Amino acid sequence: MRWKLWLLITPALALLLALFVLPLLHYLWLSTQAQSVLTGLQPRAVGAAQWLRLWNDARFWQDTWQTLRFSTVSVALEMLLGLAIALLLHQPLKGRTALRTVSLLPWALPTTVMALGWRWIFNDPYGPINGALSALGRNPIPFLSNPSLTWIASVWADTWKTTPFVALLLLAGLQTIPADLHEAAALEGASRWQALRHITLPLLTPYLLIALLFRLAQALGVFDLIQVLSGGGPAGSTESLALYAYLNAMRFLDFGYSATVMLGSFLLLVLLCGVAAIGWHWLERQRREAH
Amino acid sequence: MARLLVLLWSLGPMLWQLYTSLRPAEALSGGGAAAWTLANYQQLLQGDPPFLRYLFNSAVVGGCSTLLTLVLAVPCAYGLSRLGQRSSRTLTVLVATAAAFPAVLLFLALLELARDWHLANNLLALSLPYSGLCLPLAILLLQAAFRDIPLELEEAALLEGLGLWQRLRWVLLPLMAPAIASAALLVFIFSWNEYPIALTWLSRSDLLTLAPAMARIAGSSVYTIPYGAFAAATVLGSAPLILLMLLFQRQIISGLTQGALKG
Amino acid sequence: MSIHTPPHQGLRVQRLSRQVGPQLLLDNLDLDVAPGEILALLGPSGCGKSTTLRLIAGLDPVSHGEIQLGGRTITQLAPAQRQVAMVFQSYALFPHLSVERNLSLGMELRGVPSQRLQEELDQVLALLQLEPLRWRRPAELSGGQRQRVALARALLRRPALFLLDEPMSNLDAQLREELRAELRQLLRSTGAPVLYVTHDQQEAMGLADRIAVLRDGRLQQIGTAEQLYNNPTNRFVARFLGTPSINLLDEGAIQLGLRPEHLQLRPADQKLPEGWRGIAATIAHQEWLGDRVIVHLHGGRHGQLKLQQPQPAGSGPWQLCWPRSAELHFDAIDGTRRP
Repeated sequence: MRWKLWLLITPALALLLALFVLPLLHYLWLSTQAQSVLTGLQPRAVGAAQWLRLWNDARFWQDTWQTLRFSTVSVALEMLLGLAIALLLHQPLKGRTALRTVSLLPWALPTTVMALGWRWIFNDPYGPINGALSALGRNPIPFLSNPSLTWIASVWADTWKTTPFVALLLLAGLQTIPADLHEAAALEGASRWQALRHITLPLLTPYLLIALLFRLAQALGVFDLIQVLSGGGPAGSTESLALYAYLNAMRFLDFGYSATVMLGSFLLLVLLCGVAAIGWHWLERQRREAH
Repeated sequence: MARLLVLLWSLGPMLWQLYTSLRPAEALSGGGAAAWTLANYQQLLQGDPPFLRYLFNSAVVGGCSTLLTLVLAVPCAYGLSRLGQRSSRTLTVLVATAAAFPAVLLFLALLELARDWHLANNLLALSLPYSGLCLPLAILLLQAAFRDIPLELEEAALLEGLGLWQRLRWVLLPLMAPAIASAALLVFIFSWNEYPIALTWLSRSDLLTLAPAMARIAGSSVYTIPYGAFAAATVLGSAPLILLMLLFQRQIISGLTQGALKG
Repeated sequence: MSIHTPPHQGLRVQRLSRQVGPQLLLDNLDLDVAPGEILALLGPSGCGKSTTLRLIAGLDPVSHGEIQLGGRTITQLAPAQRQVAMVFQSYALFPHLSVERNLSLGMELRGVPSQRLQEELDQVLALLQLEPLRWRRPAELSGGQRQRVALARALLRRPALFLLDEPMSNLDAQLREELRAELRQLLRSTGAPVLYVTHDQQEAMGLADRIAVLRDGRLQQIGTAEQLYNNPTNRFVARFLGTPSINLLDEGAIQLGLRPEHLQLRPADQKLPEGWRGIAATIAHQEWLGDRVIVHLHGGRHGQLKLQQPQPAGSGPWQLCWPRSAELHFDAIDGTRRP
């Protein structure tokens, strides 16, 4: 009987394997090749030369820094805002379902579509933000042309889109906490803040962790938003690792190096998520031992 | 009060797009006239190719991906849910990790695949990688739903003389209908919004799906500021999904929460 | 009015065992159920009674042993081919189908011609008084109604064997008593053997022709309720049957088993007749149950004892006494019955 079950499982599993594992293996091979316009688009083995090049590539490290900066700030904001919204939606207020749907709309829209919208909103000098500032007699803020500010605009846009997802996830987690726990706490005279700290957050921990890891992994691969909102500019200040890999492949036609960049990014992703997960568990242990 | 803020935060940008799309270009560059116009929409709908073409392409790919994903995910989820604890646990964790993977990192390998197998510029072929990318979430969701159906129901059907196919058709799948609907919606939304793979697989302008089409429009003009037309594109591009959300909000939300909970 | 089932030779189970990993769930079970007989599988949870049912139904694989039904060996057959109908503890009705569809689905997919299908369906609906509920969904039915639908589904299967897994445990006590006689009559009228699992000894005694007591996967004793009650093969069976449970008094290598209704209270200084024995006892408290009284006593070194009598007892002093002929002797260590 069991073999019949495996028969049902295999096709999907095979596709997953082909889609997720094979590419990475392929990249591994490709990163040891030079395949570009210079080699007539044919692969030529070069050992670890591409990796050495990656290590010495200032633009790669610059992009790594930018991607990290974008991801950590964005995810941190999303977690905080998401938690706030989840707590809000958890209250039995009127119009709660409608509000829940409305708050989810940003997530449902294609990133590229709204990225175009954000370009206009942040536009200097005609976008609404700068328009309002001008009307108030203030100087306009050149969001998209000042390298130190563009990344903030991208964080804002990304937060807008993905916070609902985090909020929904945390809301689901909140709904699993039995109501009597809060009632008991209220009877003992605990304030709302104390209840939040000592009951809600500890029980919400697994969901917070999942949301964190999920969003972190996704954010490190940011591509759509950056490409359409700023094209990686101005002056490459918002360029992400994924965008760099893409440029290497599609614009510079340097496939070998592109694979190297992507594999490098992937390793970074695994490292970061691993650190986040371990760090979280370590914090949890500390907290528990403190009691 | 907080509710109002959330409302404003979520809807604000989109409402602004709507407003912008109805204003003529001169008004936007500070020309001041309080005019309203549909010219932006006209420009889009009569463009070459007409904007609606992109929506159509996205719908085709979306529908195809949804079908393919379900065909693969439903049996797989059933098998996993009836498998013993140990084996299914490991597989589920693996599937969950795949779900968190940023798909953009796969684009190069997929590009080479498209080249070698002549899958480029083919809307139906695009549904292959899309299904693969949606499989993890669909499997997690459906597996949880299968688990929720008490085993005794299936055993009763078994004793009544129903074979596997009959059990699926008459008992299990009808009870799974809500979960399947949720999964289908999530797959459709994903396909609609996907960008990097569509970008690299489709180059013919009349075959573009919505996401790359928008990017192309965004990069098209450098000197003028056709933000009215851009905004109109944004509105038209968002409309189908907003409609979908409003119609199926419950299924979409429950699908996300279920998938998330079991992760 | 009864449902005709084809003639058959009953159920025979030989050396049936099931082992999962290190755990032996069922250990060499032997039993027979004749056509038209109701055999109850009785025991505490985890004793293997549900396991037995599932093995006979084919829902779990057998580790070793044989199952024969109506002369056919069905041990390796798929559930659908065994001609067995089962009523689950939760009834397992299809929630998305109406009562009528719940009943007709199996028949339709088994290829029963539609006219006969309708006839039998109407017949069973009338028999179990389900006609007014025909179009309702399971969620709209009460526990007792759902049980009837589950029974109807089993009846329509025209099986060679009925398996019932604690079908009354979801119903409240009063309903259980009312339905017991109806259920017995219905099951007997089919003419097929019936295997009935329960943890409730009163239900077993009231409903079954014979009872098989199981413990930790092993058969303890099989016989009529009377045989098990008056002549238990071991301490476990003696303790399991009878409310309140049997009293056990330690006497060195032997334990004396005394049923509460065989004990009597007599004035402490009264002389006892030939063949009787008495011990000193004080009353701890009494439970008045309407038709009888249960008197809880301190029996000195014998610990807590229970006695049953029609009327409440006065203040004493009392001696607790009994005819020695009513004693059951058990080995103090392993509990087996000594003559």
